[in-house]
Amino acid sequence: MAGKAGKPSRPRKADKDEEEQPLQAVLVADSFNRRFFPITKDQPRALLPLANVSMIDYTLEFLTSTGVQETFVFCCWMASKIKEHLQKSKWCRPTSPNVVHVITSDLYRSLGDVLRDVDAKTLVRSDFLLVYGDVVSNIDISQALQEHKQRRSMDKNVSVMTMIFKESPPGHKTRCEDDDIIIAMDGKSKRILHYQRAQALKRLHFPMNIFHSGSDEFEIRFDLLDCHISICSPQVAELFTDNFDYQTKNDFVRGLLVNEEILGNQIHMHVTKDGYGARVSNLLMYDTVSSDTIRRWVYPITPEANFADLEGQSCTHSRHNVYRETGVSLGHGSQMEENVLIGRNTMIGANCTISNTVIGANCVIGDNVTLDRAYIWNRVHIADDVKVKQSVICDNVEVKHGVVLNEQCVLAYNVVVGPDITLPEGTVLSMHHPDEEDDEDDDEFLSDDNDVGYRKDKTKLKVFNPAEVGSEGKGYRWKTSSLEDTEEDELAECIWGEILLNQFLYHGGKLFSNLDKVMLEYNPHIAFRTVWTWKRYIKMYLKTLVEQSLYVSSQLLKKWAPVFKNYVKRPQDQLDCLASMEEVFLERETHWAALVKVLMSMYQLEILEEEGIMHWFNQGSTTDKSQQLRRNQGLLKFIQWLQEAEESSEEDE
Amino acid sequence: MPGADKETDLSERIESFLSELKRCGSGAGSLRGSAETARETTALLRRTTAQARWGNAGELMEIIRKEGRRMTAAQPSETTVGNMVRRVLKIIREEYARSRGSSEETDQQESLHKLLTSGGSSEDNFRQHFAHLKANVIEAINELLTELEGTTDNISMQALEHIHSNEVIMTIGRSRTVEAFLKDAARKRKFHVIVAECAPFCQGHEMATSLCKEDIETTVIPDAAIFAVMSRVNKVIIGTQTVLANGGLRAVNGTHTLALAAKHHSTPLIVCAPMFKLSPQFPNEEDTFHKFVSPHEVLPFTEGNVTQQHLTPFSTLKTEIVNKFRKKKLTQK
Repeated sequence: MAGKAGKPSRPRKADKDEEEQPLQAVLVADSFNRRFFPITKDQPRALLPLANVSMIDYTLEFLTSTGVQETFVFCCWMASKIKEHLQKSKWCRPTSPNVVHVITSDLYRSLGDVLRDVDAKTLVRSDFLLVYGDVVSNIDISQALQEHKQRRSMDKNVSVMTMIFKESPPGHKTRCEDDDIIIAMDGKSKRILHYQRAQALKRLHFPMNIFHSGSDEFEIRFDLLDCHISICSPQVAELFTDNFDYQTKNDFVRGLLVNEEILGNQIHMHVTKDGYGARVSNLLMYDTVSSDTIRRWVYPITPEANFADLEGQSCTHSRHNVYRETGVSLGHGSQMEENVLIGRNTMIGANCTISNTVIGANCVIGDNVTLDRAYIWNRVHIADDVKVKQSVICDNVEVKHGVVLNEQCVLAYNVVVGPDITLPEGTVLSMHHPDEEDDEDDDEFLSDDNDVGYRKDKTKLKVFNPAEVGSEGKGYRWKTSSLEDTEEDELAECIWGEILLNQFLYHGGKLFSNLDKVMLEYNPHIAFRTVWTWKRYIKMYLKTLVEQSLYVSSQLLKKWAPVFKNYVKRPQDQLDCLASMEEVFLERETHWAALVKVLMSMYQLEILEEEGIMHWFNQGSTTDKSQQLRRNQGLLKFIQWLQEAEESSEEDE
Repeated sequence: MPGADKETDLSERIESFLSELKRCGSGAGSLRGSAETARETTALLRRTTAQARWGNAGELMEIIRKEGRRMTAAQPSETTVGNMVRRVLKIIREEYARSRGSSEETDQQESLHKLLTSGGSSEDNFRQHFAHLKANVIEAINELLTELEGTTDNISMQALEHIHSNEVIMTIGRSRTVEAFLKDAARKRKFHVIVAECAPFCQGHEMATSLCKEDIETTVIPDAAIFAVMSRVNKVIIGTQTVLANGGLRAVNGTHTLALAAKHHSTPLIVCAPMFKLSPQFPNEEDTFHKFVSPHEVLPFTEGNVTQQHLTPFSTLKTEIVNKFRKKKLTQK
């Protein structure tokens, strides 16, 4: 009923067309990592509450207030919950200015997959905003968008993406340490020349060619906070489709910058000083962004504004940033010192001291409780004499009396923590056992090398350890080290994937010794993809071969024979291979002689068989050009030779 | 079907108005003028009257009250919304009474009497259906809108009575009413204006630039210099965001300082307020009364982890400080 679908699709002028295009956004509601495990075993990250409002609501509010009129939300993990939430929210009402489409698929494994899907479905018509589902921001994008459009119209679509950064000195607590970046940029045109993750690096190398880019104002900046908001052109989706080794945004940026001379694409940036933008990528960021929201840095997105239009969520804002919703009852002598948000119908006992805390709805908190930097979600019961410091307590948790939670503890859903126990720093408790198998989730981006020898019948006794959770407690303790390992593996995989395929495609496959690893790497990928992408892979390889000299290519073909053999097994595969070869060679008429040589080598290397080749040759060709191809002298001779060889081999048998 | 279309169109407009209210002031300098808000509220209420389905005055008032509550909840510090809703409700009551044929005073007397004797609510009075009520109400709302348009001009017409030649006038921040007031006087008189800049949003600078264009001698001073300069000032003229029921004001930050300094020097203080700024609210809850915005204007985000920072654009003035009110010349209803 919002009527956006019925927009006229053929306006008179091209400029007018661009002006009238509604601004679109792609929201990736899945972070493709497990930073928030075990909390996200029960609830997707986009729906976790930040100051009692789901994180995805903040992102959608940011998009709507900046003028986006159509949003595509992509979900993978627990997609049904996200869909349900969105359909109940104000964004899916017919009067919403932002039309939200939810697209779910179990096959998304990375940002790259999402963008490839965007390209495949041609969802975006012009520049679009790319954000994650856990971005909290109040930045007004219109100026950056203007600059982006201007750049594209002036330079004929050279600039592919504009990234939004916020100025923020190193060490500022809103900077996520994992996301720290060093950027070399051109001061005048705001073009990014070099982009590097600076996490834990002690030395940085800048390639010299960035300083030859023709400008005379360079800046190397370390004072930038990545807001994870980007203005992308439709080319971005196409670039992801062309290079399916681009999995994350980091890959993409590095890939573009490395290959800039070949492809000519540029990335620009926009730095905002006054707006606020941050992504909740781990629990420390959750703490920081929560407290920033309560201290009104994200104005006008504040708790009492109730921007998500939730029923009964109105709260009052008092001195020292104390927010109280309806139905809150405070016991005698309790102090809400500063930066506190208390959800509706929560009862707080006597003599409590609460500061820098967020408490959800329907909680019951006992007497003499000290809460400092605690994030307590809904329906939590906290008994008397409890001390909580910088911890997250999820829904329905029961904390019995006398418990002390030290810094950075996480109590996931439904956990019970027994009386009189002190949890050491960094304890993570969950009702899910840490070695529990995930039935629905056999993703491989975690590179489960540690689980290679694991067998299903190795079930542990599901008994709660009283030393960990207290005598009446329920829950298992998760080792923090397992959470860190997966992070590193994920990083290694990205770099691994990028380096490998880049070199393969552009330097002629020097890493032939690592072929086995390549196959291991890409087998699962290809198993999940449809056949046509594999065809494209072959096509790309053949393209590069043909572009280089043929002498080199026959050697390369020998080197890569095992890879081809691995994939080309069934007759259908051979046909596909031949079809892609045909496509490649049809583009280059001058190289038809090479086609024969390639076919010959492939036949000799036993990648292709006579039957396959004959079948392909005898297939009716649809276009004139392919008919011409089939009439090529060299090819005809080869086919003749093949037939004779076939006959002779049959005679032998 | 066209009825359903109209209704969704109406709810769309209301929703977008509400979201605009909630988001207003995302950059502190871009606060929407209260006159625009008042005009838009009234236009929206007129549209609601025209398009919503109601049978009698009571139902219409319920609808308007409901919408009014939503609008005031969206941005509690924007009191003009509530004021216009109350005015429209009053219009409906009057038109109803007129349609019934009884005059205003007798009606009131009757209802008081009724209150004493029967003790029931007078709500059942509004249940009668009148065919022309809709047209009358819409016409009256149109009159209200015309009044809104002309209110600033009405105030400016009185300018010559108050400002004499060679006077020094002091003002603070930027008020469109005061600007029009001074510009009108400048056509015939020569005087000097001192503008306090009103940090941190520094709206005083814009006011000064605009006055300069009309060839008025203007000086901008920092807020700290208000007391020092006050001895040389003849009159203080200010605008305000709201006039409260007890005569107090909710005005821009720094007005309280200005008013205290004026009182100390016995300088007359004049407040120019159009009629949509008169509110029946009292300044009861000290705590929750004010609007707080993002602290980045005072101390930028980059300065690191600051524990406490507040920034409020308004301050409250007590009743006793204000001597005179200048509203429109016609008597208030």
